[in-house]
Amino acid sequence: MNSAIFPRGRLLLWGGCLAAAIALPLLFKSGFVVSLLCQMGIMVVFALSYNMLLGQTGLLSFGHAVYYGLGAFVTMHALNIVGKDGGPLTTALLPLVGGLAGMLAGVLLGYVTTKKAGTTFAMISLGIGELVAASALMFPGFFGGEGGVSGNRVVGKENLLGLTWGPQVEMYGLIVAWAFLATVAMFALTQTPLGRMANAVRDNPERAEFVGYDTQRVRFLMVILSGLFAGIAGGLSALNYEIITAETLNAHTSGVVLLMTFVGGIGFFYGPIIGAILITVMQIVIGGLTHAWLLYFGLFFLFMVLMAPGGIASVIAVQRNLWLAGLLGRMLPHYLAVALPVLVLLAGLVGLVELSYALLAGEGVGAGDTATRVMTMEFHLNTPGPWLAALGTTALGLLLTRWIGSRAGVAWNAALATLHGDKA
Amino acid sequence: MTAPAIRISGLRKNFGASEIIRGVDLDIHRGERHAVIGPNGAGKSTLFHLISARLPVSAGAIELKGENVVGLKPFEINRKGLSRSFQITNIFHNLSVFENLRCAVLWSLGYRYSFWQRLAGLKDARQRAEAVMEDIGLAKRRDTPAGILSYAEQRALEIGITIASGADVILLDEPTAGMSRSETDDAVALIRRVTEGKTLVMVEHDMGVVFGLADRISVLVYGQIIATDAPAAIRCNAAVQEAYLGTSPHLGNEHD
Repeated sequence: MNSAIFPRGRLLLWGGCLAAAIALPLLFKSGFVVSLLCQMGIMVVFALSYNMLLGQTGLLSFGHAVYYGLGAFVTMHALNIVGKDGGPLTTALLPLVGGLAGMLAGVLLGYVTTKKAGTTFAMISLGIGELVAASALMFPGFFGGEGGVSGNRVVGKENLLGLTWGPQVEMYGLIVAWAFLATVAMFALTQTPLGRMANAVRDNPERAEFVGYDTQRVRFLMVILSGLFAGIAGGLSALNYEIITAETLNAHTSGVVLLMTFVGGIGFFYGPIIGAILITVMQIVIGGLTHAWLLYFGLFFLFMVLMAPGGIASVIAVQRNLWLAGLLGRMLPHYLAVALPVLVLLAGLVGLVELSYALLAGEGVGAGDTATRVMTMEFHLNTPGPWLAALGTTALGLLLTRWIGSRAGVAWNAALATLHGDKA
Repeated sequence: MTAPAIRISGLRKNFGASEIIRGVDLDIHRGERHAVIGPNGAGKSTLFHLISARLPVSAGAIELKGENVVGLKPFEINRKGLSRSFQITNIFHNLSVFENLRCAVLWSLGYRYSFWQRLAGLKDARQRAEAVMEDIGLAKRRDTPAGILSYAEQRALEIGITIASGADVILLDEPTAGMSRSETDDAVALIRRVTEGKTLVMVEHDMGVVFGLADRISVLVYGQIIATDAPAAIRCNAAVQEAYLGTSPHLGNEHD
């Protein structure tokens, strides 16, 4: 019955997250990490804006990149108009221009897409997404054609605290500030009449109509507001990368944000934050290690859809409930016991994937593509040794996982039964 | 002389070639409790769907408190003070009991599509939702997701959502369907309490409920109303006995 906007627990959590976001680049001074953090911050805003539709209003969109991309292009043009003569504050406020562009796109496109919900909405959003992506190439004046549009965020004169936005770490500070503001605003929206009625429309549009609400209007408003935040994320990306191409508008971008949001968990406000951070790290870290990263990506998504359809946030929520009920301690040894065979299984699978990928895609180290390198080890593809080892490891991992996993499963079910028994 | 709560004239509804409502004329007086009975497939639920605009009307007129409502959307009719429940429970499954009821009162309290006010700060919405929650006996289930309530509790919530907005014309579609005897008694007491001073129209199969609650009864058979009268007169009406109950002389304890 706490009616404060931010009760103490929530205030601590949000403050902690903000502090961590600020502290991270101080701990890791490498340029790589700061760039990674910048991308995370942008994606967090983008994924949260996406979940305003998917998780909160029940609208599955395949065209969310449109709002993000248009926000980015408009911001970039604004940046080029302002040029070097604008002060640091002007540049810092440019993502808002992107947000307004996203919002305007939401007004124009949302009016069409929100006439219907469900599959119809998904299909129309896909169609409009492709339409905008395709027409981007037809208007090279605005979208810059193949080369895209580039700009320079560095301001000539420094005044405000000596900021020029030149160094990446200054850009990171700007992203954190925007991301924090946007996140607070999006959370606040969930606590308003419109935010709650969006949930109602998601759960049961018919009933929402019979308590006096125009469901189309609710969806429309949510699309517009979601466009605002997606546009802000796009604007941040324009400033961050200083280049934006028409590819940003296409279905791949829409697909990635859907993936992030889903993997993180659409049923929880913080789910997309987790998803955006995790997927960004996977993209960049695994992408740097192996050419087969898209395959791992796909496998991971498949695994999540099948094993944890509620996303990582729902897994965390269950653990939290177990912890509150004093049952987590009972489960921890089982988690650890399962972790070992799962690691063996993963190692085997990675071996198989890398060997196959090297063989099929010809990604070997040369010498007639008969050898490949995983990390620093070199394997010869035309000898049975590596294949047998990978197969053996996979089989062993599979057997151990099933054996130990079934015992952990019994404990898991018992814990859940106790948990729900206590509740009822 | 004020206009009746609902005036239906020459109402027709066909699905393709089959006509389900075949010329219904009916006046529902203000403040009365009116039951619509009839055998399965008579078109009772369809009649409700037409009044509440869930289905489009094929022909005829429907007036709500003297105002034509044919062609309006469900939310527009709701805003004019008509609220309905559903035969198949129609609630917000993932929201808590309290949130279900608060959603039901937001529009009528004028909060519309506000995204600049905090729900937690809306004292009137909270109080009204809590009062209804108390009324329907679900106060102890306040934070339970509606989807995991028991069947009887969901039916009570269904009625709660229907009356929460303070609408003065209430349509209840089989409010006691699927309930045990004691649950039915509770539901009847609840309906009597929450529709005090309002106009109630209900479709109901349980004759105990119908004759216990209704001031007047209309009998719908094969898409037409064959009689509208006080319960005692309906009980003795030969045409009703003939058409609706075969030849059974007793309209007492029939259960669906």
